[in-house]
Amino acid sequence: MKSSTICKEWLDSLPTPEGYLKNEQSIGREFLLEKGMPSKKDEAWRLSNFKKLNSFLSLPTLIDSEDVQFIFPEKDENRERIIINPNKNPILDINLPNGIEKLNNREIEDNIGTIVKSTNIKNDISVCLNQASSSELLALKIKRNFNQSLEIVIPSIEGKSISTRIFLLLEEGAKLDLLQIFTGNKNSAQNHLTEIKLESKVELIHGLISFGEEKESSSICTLAVEQSEKSKYSLHSIHHGWDYARFEPRIIQSEGEASTIIKGLQVTKSKEQIATHSLIRFEGPNGKLDQLQKAVASEYSHCIFNGSIEVPQKAQKTEAAQLSRNLLLSKRARIDTKPELEIVADDVRCTHGATVSQLQDEELFYLLSRGIDNKHANSLLLKGYYDEVISHFPKSAGKWNFIEKLIQDIKK
Amino acid sequence: MTQTNTVEEIVSQPYKYGFITEIETEKIPKGLNEDVIRLISAKKNEPEFLLKFRLRAYEQWLKMKEPNWSNLTYSKVDYQDLVYYAAPKQDIKKKSLDEVDPKLLDTFEKLGIPLSEQKRLSNVAVDAVFDSVSIATTYKEKLAEHGVIFCSISEAINEYPDLIEKYMGTVVPINDNFFAALNSAVFSDGSFVYIPKGVECPMELSSYFRINSGDTGQFERTLIIAEESSSVSYLEGCTAPMFDTNTLHAAVVELVALDNASIKYSTVQNWYAGNEEGVGGIYNFVTKRGECRGKKSKISWSQVETGSAITWKYPSCVLQGDNSIGEFYSIALTNNCQKADTGTKMIHIGKNTKSKIVSKGISAGQSKNSYRGLVSIGPNAEGSRNYSQCDSMLIGDKASANTYPYIQSKQPQSNIEHEASTCRISEDQLFYLQSRGIDFEESVSMLVSGFCSDVFNELPMEFASEADKLLALKLEGSVG
Amino acid sequence: MISSTSEIILSIEDLHASVEDQEILHGVNLIVKEGEIHAIMGRNGSGKSTLSKVIAGHPSYKVLSGSIQFKGKDILELEPEERARIGIFLGFQYPVEIPGVSNLEFLRVATNSRRKELLKSELDTFEFEDLVNERLKIVEMDPGFLERSVNEGFSGGEKKRNEILQMALLEPVISILDETDSGLDIDALRIVASGINRLSQPNSATILITHYQRLLNEITPDFVHIMADGKIIKTGNRELAIDLEKSGYDFLDKTTKEKEVTK
Repeated sequence: MKSSTICKEWLDSLPTPEGYLKNEQSIGREFLLEKGMPSKKDEAWRLSNFKKLNSFLSLPTLIDSEDVQFIFPEKDENRERIIINPNKNPILDINLPNGIEKLNNREIEDNIGTIVKSTNIKNDISVCLNQASSSELLALKIKRNFNQSLEIVIPSIEGKSISTRIFLLLEEGAKLDLLQIFTGNKNSAQNHLTEIKLESKVELIHGLISFGEEKESSSICTLAVEQSEKSKYSLHSIHHGWDYARFEPRIIQSEGEASTIIKGLQVTKSKEQIATHSLIRFEGPNGKLDQLQKAVASEYSHCIFNGSIEVPQKAQKTEAAQLSRNLLLSKRARIDTKPELEIVADDVRCTHGATVSQLQDEELFYLLSRGIDNKHANSLLLKGYYDEVISHFPKSAGKWNFIEKLIQDIKK
Repeated sequence: MTQTNTVEEIVSQPYKYGFITEIETEKIPKGLNEDVIRLISAKKNEPEFLLKFRLRAYEQWLKMKEPNWSNLTYSKVDYQDLVYYAAPKQDIKKKSLDEVDPKLLDTFEKLGIPLSEQKRLSNVAVDAVFDSVSIATTYKEKLAEHGVIFCSISEAINEYPDLIEKYMGTVVPINDNFFAALNSAVFSDGSFVYIPKGVECPMELSSYFRINSGDTGQFERTLIIAEESSSVSYLEGCTAPMFDTNTLHAAVVELVALDNASIKYSTVQNWYAGNEEGVGGIYNFVTKRGECRGKKSKISWSQVETGSAITWKYPSCVLQGDNSIGEFYSIALTNNCQKADTGTKMIHIGKNTKSKIVSKGISAGQSKNSYRGLVSIGPNAEGSRNYSQCDSMLIGDKASANTYPYIQSKQPQSNIEHEASTCRISEDQLFYLQSRGIDFEESVSMLVSGFCSDVFNELPMEFASEADKLLALKLEGSVG
Repeated sequence: MISSTSEIILSIEDLHASVEDQEILHGVNLIVKEGEIHAIMGRNGSGKSTLSKVIAGHPSYKVLSGSIQFKGKDILELEPEERARIGIFLGFQYPVEIPGVSNLEFLRVATNSRRKELLKSELDTFEFEDLVNERLKIVEMDPGFLERSVNEGFSGGEKKRNEILQMALLEPVISILDETDSGLDIDALRIVASGINRLSQPNSATILITHYQRLLNEITPDFVHIMADGKIIKTGNRELAIDLEKSGYDFLDKTTKEKEVTK
């Protein structure tokens, strides 16, 4: 079937726009109807597996309100957990701890879509897909006095496609340790959009663990972040086990004078395809970026990284460093990476680098020569390779066993 | 930032090759259709197979769309408003230089390429191309002694049709891209080089392209074949007068290196870049590709790109033969409203193939300077390696430097490394040089040369200094 | 060697200067005559390096008021290269690495620009090589360093020797050596110091900016100045440096405090 037909059918299958996101839904749908699904000619999608993308759309969207139970590891004492159960209205259901408030309807109206706009992605297909189908929004304001950690879990539902959307406003001076967990399910699809606004002097540590695990699970996740001056944002992400996943972090330092750290890891096996498309733009002077993206592709899988850094004229004295490091472990696997720099300011220090290789023979030999067998040696080295990203996660994230899952793969 | 302003001033140097040669020219009427192609082919006395080649290409071209994906915007070219053949009026079959119009010889002498017996460069054979035709090739006889063929492509088409038929269009297929198809349909002249088996070409070969007419498209075509265990070093230079309209230059260059052969291809491109407001200048849309067909063959591109309003050019290497090597060394200097989108493609197909990319971009004024490159390692390219280094230098806060490296690997037993950095002329380095009594202009020029030195080292000896001078010329203040 | 009739080479009067809008020098006065060796000591941040940069004309440093005269002529309007040509030499504390620019070429261009000023003939490549090989001996440097890029990959000591080599080639009237001794081991220090001693001429002068007095064991200064808070607060002879070594900079605090009290 042609992708335009699939897109149209998908749009037709959606319930008529209603509720407080009605307007958003209409905008997204109109855009998709007009523009249709991307093709190989779209630079941002040219490597995408369109068969997988199409099957993403062919799953029925969840509309029934049957309650689904999930089993998750026990929550941490100091960590407030919110589970976004797509069957329920998330805003009504949760009890919020001190220091977190729901945005009221007025505030939602004022804020929704603003980060999408400022990061210039309102015409992105991934965003429009979400806009068109999300019927609920978790919109929170994190106040200065909030002193716990927050965990937001977004599960998938078997045989269904779900759309979830989050808006976080971090008030001036707030500090937050956020852990976002995405999980897959059999034959499931999830489309997620998070918008985060960091007011000045906010410090946000954002851990994002996204693992599909089950066959035929797919995920499209957009993360739009706007940083005000003197804010610090660090994103640590892991994507693993999805048949098809696309992660699009878009970060804008709207006034410069902020710092951004990104450490990302994606691991693919069998016939999976996982892609990260990041864009960081500096709209003011003295911004800093330190980005490390790691990818490991084995068996028949495909890892993609596309990272843009934009430094316009007003962003003098920007310091940005981006490194894409990739391991290609099998003859049938494939790695594509494209670190891009666009610079108009002259007084800046920007570097980027990329490497694609296998595990280092010398390192492997060293371990083997100490009597460690091949499998162990390989997994030790891979573990070391992952560690640069994993070590940044809070200890409590360990409950999600993601490290074990990553390592298990290697042992196979 | 007075410092930067002065650096900018230094980079803005008037174009020194902007003169027009007053000479009677034979032109065919403007426009492009099948008849025009037949006319060009007839004028050149071409064999049937070549006319067919041209017509096939034209047919393909009609079906193709002008590309718009690169980081360039430009006023669209009206392909029916161009002249596709222009030649200085003279007897085409000239036997010796004495019969060449002295005005043409003067023109080339002014450009620093003397052709006459007494003045010609020693140890460099030159093929001089004026508008659509090659007017002279020096040292032909001496080269012939070694079995080396160096002549215009028109001559080669008539005298060595077998070689042309065997190789032309095999590296850059006629439908490769919009401009390559156009070139295949209407190419006028260019150079042909054939190095026989086991021969090390005894001198540097060089083609010099001069656009003289304002409304003429320049579509030259170059084909270089290096047989088994042979080697050659080739250089092309280009200039054009100043016109306030844009002139299209869409060349195709094909290189074939067989077992153990090596080709070094260097370009010093100094087409007219347009004025400070970006009016006029050459659109330089060029397809250059080399195939390392043989084992252990090597193709090395080096380029110094300083001219043209717009450059769109990716000299590439297809590394087919096992253990073959591809190299790309580039300096691109853009100023005012110039736009350059240049880089390379290294396609690793054979085992143990190696490639190296060193690109230095310098952008000043409001210019846009982009590196765009592809490194692709195929599933059978075991043991292959690539190393790329792309450095940009920005002068002034309106210039832009972009880097778009596409990296793709399907072979775990391979290694790709890419590094890129952006900098400007450091105030501390400048002060250090100045505090030793070296004046500002010379200090800037030294720093820019230093920034480019990795690439200068790769240019053939005879031309490294020429290229350095060319950069210095663009960088020199009003002193000269 | 020093006599009252000696010509004044450098005269600094009530010099105030700033960098990045922050005033660092708050009125420096200094007179240097032919044949003299001056040492300027002081803590980090006292303004020693700023003074040297201002004399050499670094564009980041702004002179707010006061004057600097070289042989009676105001030099504040001169570009850095013009100052270098008339014979003002700054030995950098951190010599800059300039990748891609050949050290030999750099030295030749610099030497010729100074020679031009002195109305001497310019040296061609061969003549210059002879000269540089002779001067290399003064700093006991391997000719291999000439083939490399300016200071690139040089060790700390090699960089400092390269500075003294430049001084040997440019034959300056006044040399301001900014912490030339820092980061040097004993052998390197001796080589550098003996180079400086050999290069000093009766009609030239030297200012040594240093943190420690160990360089002053090798080169005997005629005057020792102590800088603090952007001013020269004490001037003496060699003994002052020795006192300083014994009791550290703390004794300065005492003296300044005493001063303040007496005020």
